[in-house]
Amino acid sequence: MTERKTVLVRYDEIGLKGKNRKYFEKCLLKNIKRELSCSDDIIYRSPRGRIFLDIPSSFAPECKARLKFVPGIASFSIGVSMAPDFEAISALSVQWIEPKLVSTGSMKFCVRTRRSAKSFPQTSPEVNFEVGSRIMKQLSSKGLTVNINEAEYILEIEIGRLETVVFDNREPGLPGLPVGSSGNVLCLLSGGIDSPVSAYMMACRGCRVHFVFFDNQPFLGRGGYDKVLSLAKKINRFQTRGTLFVVPFQDMQSAIRDHCNEENRVVLYRRMMYRIAGEIADRYNFMALITGESLGQVASQTLENLAAVSCVTPLSVFRPLIGMNKESIINKAIEIGTYETSIEPQPDCCSVFMPKNPVTRSKIPFLERDEQKIPWEELRDAALARMEIIKVDDL
Amino acid sequence: MVYLDNAATTPMNREVAERIQEAMQKYFANSGTPYRIGLDAKRLIEKSTESIAEHLQIPSSHRILFTSGGTESNNLFIKGLCFPDKKTAFLGLEHPSVTESLAFFKQFGNDPLSLLSFQVEGRLDLNSIVTIKENRVKLLCLSHVNNELGTVNDPLQVISALEKESPQTKLFLDGVQAIGKIVLNPDMWKGLAGYSISGHKIHGPKGIGLLIYDSRLVLNPQMHGGKQQFGVRSGTLPLPLIMGLETAVKHAVVCAEQTQKHLENLCHHLVHGLKILQEQLPELNIRFNSLIGNNVTHQSPGMVNFSFPPVEGEVVLHHLEQKNIFVGLGSACSAQSKEPSKILMGLGLSEEQARCSLRISFSENNTLEDVDQFLEAFGVAYQALYPTFLQKA
Repeated sequence: MTERKTVLVRYDEIGLKGKNRKYFEKCLLKNIKRELSCSDDIIYRSPRGRIFLDIPSSFAPECKARLKFVPGIASFSIGVSMAPDFEAISALSVQWIEPKLVSTGSMKFCVRTRRSAKSFPQTSPEVNFEVGSRIMKQLSSKGLTVNINEAEYILEIEIGRLETVVFDNREPGLPGLPVGSSGNVLCLLSGGIDSPVSAYMMACRGCRVHFVFFDNQPFLGRGGYDKVLSLAKKINRFQTRGTLFVVPFQDMQSAIRDHCNEENRVVLYRRMMYRIAGEIADRYNFMALITGESLGQVASQTLENLAAVSCVTPLSVFRPLIGMNKESIINKAIEIGTYETSIEPQPDCCSVFMPKNPVTRSKIPFLERDEQKIPWEELRDAALARMEIIKVDDL
Repeated sequence: MVYLDNAATTPMNREVAERIQEAMQKYFANSGTPYRIGLDAKRLIEKSTESIAEHLQIPSSHRILFTSGGTESNNLFIKGLCFPDKKTAFLGLEHPSVTESLAFFKQFGNDPLSLLSFQVEGRLDLNSIVTIKENRVKLLCLSHVNNELGTVNDPLQVISALEKESPQTKLFLDGVQAIGKIVLNPDMWKGLAGYSISGHKIHGPKGIGLLIYDSRLVLNPQMHGGKQQFGVRSGTLPLPLIMGLETAVKHAVVCAEQTQKHLENLCHHLVHGLKILQEQLPELNIRFNSLIGNNVTHQSPGMVNFSFPPVEGEVVLHHLEQKNIFVGLGSACSAQSKEPSKILMGLGLSEEQARCSLRISFSENNTLEDVDQFLEAFGVAYQALYPTFLQKA
């Protein structure tokens, strides 16, 4: 029989849930199963408050790497399942500690027990003492000391009703809610730094995020399109089953540029993007739009202009970055691995389509008057008819 | 497909690809090892090196190094010879691998001398030699053929002027855009301190280039390691790429005269066609940034750079792409920057003129029909885009 390990997964916010907790647990378990579907030799158990995975030892490194992509996990540990036998636990611990002790010469340690099976005869402090003293007996002469507050090595024992798990590591997971538990949303993805971060943040709030990109080919090259494909793929890594909608936007943008007031252009482009995104959301039952806007970052992101774009759709528009400064957004982008792609140079249409002085406090009646000058419903429908739909999992 | 961006790279010749593939499968041994198969590899490299020397007529006074390409050759020679304090000069219209290597010296208080005030139509005015002498320049770095304009600094003229007026100044030429497009005169070697060549610009493989330099010069290695190639450029030699490069060089040299003539025809056809287009379209005003005429000591026939404000080059490029026609930007943004490159601005063009330009560059594979297709598609794209850009202007 191959050697086995037990992975103990601790929930993040699901732990706070009341009656609907089961629903969230099921979601998380499903996501973990999908993430680990590359192995068919895993046994899943989910007693209250925990998920246990029984995996082959050889799969442990890959399992550790993969679990870091599943939102909803506070932390996880990889250890060994065994009977709650103090002798056996101590013997195993000595095996783990001794090599470390040999290389450092001295080490402070402690034992921490958590006992969810209250029927177990000893209390947690008693277990700590029993196991700790057995280990000390064998290793104190080699430099091991007990220090509960400043331990360099923590041996943990979880005694459950069905099994006892012993481990000495805790890996941080991706906190938040399991993807899918909140519903589907549509993120306006531009190829810049911000929108991928906002999509990621919503994935960590339990949303399955789909993406819409407004494409300027043939005015600009395929560079922007390729970049968005790559960004969507990176974010989809945290959730799977996202869809990318690529909407040809050139004709709409040219019409606005040629017929509307120059200073209003940017807000008008965005109103059209929101309208088109709203249509897509309606068709696919997505429940909200997500953007990477951050208050005051650029001219189109003033309070007035945000209000002027939000009002064109009855959908909720969420802007998870609204109160963040650029530096924290960049740090987040680096952390999730989208930054390097986002900063790749990409041709933009600034010199052709952007006004010299964009309006910072747009007035909705003026925007509406501008919109009467172009057949925007027709242009919107034409763009939607030519929209490309890409399953991000297939990329 | 019509491919008219041969200054960016060229499609690999089938013969070259076959030779590389064969070498990759057959000769895997490290040419630095002492056993038979290693020695066989070494022998093949020596043979290729000799063949390259023979075809380019490189005299025995000059050494041939294999590098990863033009950028490395330029870096290795300039930094290897002049770091940190030897005085250098350049025209100011060179490729970034030359200008940036020189700019690297600034942090050591060694500012390279820019001769931009001496540029005439993209070439170095030889009246600048006095200034070069006064500044005690040790190394003058120039493009043989300019990478955006195709303008030529004729090696023999520069060499003879330097010999006469400033004999202590050595000459380095970036030859990446020259070979395979114009006939190289072997008389230039004896007056050249260094010369760089890139494989993929002559239908050869990417990832390999040559640095040809006067073997009396001491170059400080930029890459340290197993002391291959006289210790100047360490690293296991890529035998398959070397054999591919040899095939490409051989072809370029053998066909040089024929190619040059062919490119002259294409170039003439293009310029003529653009002039006719200009007559037909009153809104089209073309400014040729390359020199027009058939003087290969002034201009490579392989390249035509022209501006057509107010329509932006990049937008035209993408419209042509829709028709499967691929051209270069007149003012290539360097990979990391969206600013127009310094070359067209250095000629005195406005930023708008620089942005509103294209670079057409030919290879022997192009035909007159390619040029016709381009002209037609360019005319259509220009007319379609003009109103949009007119409003902007």
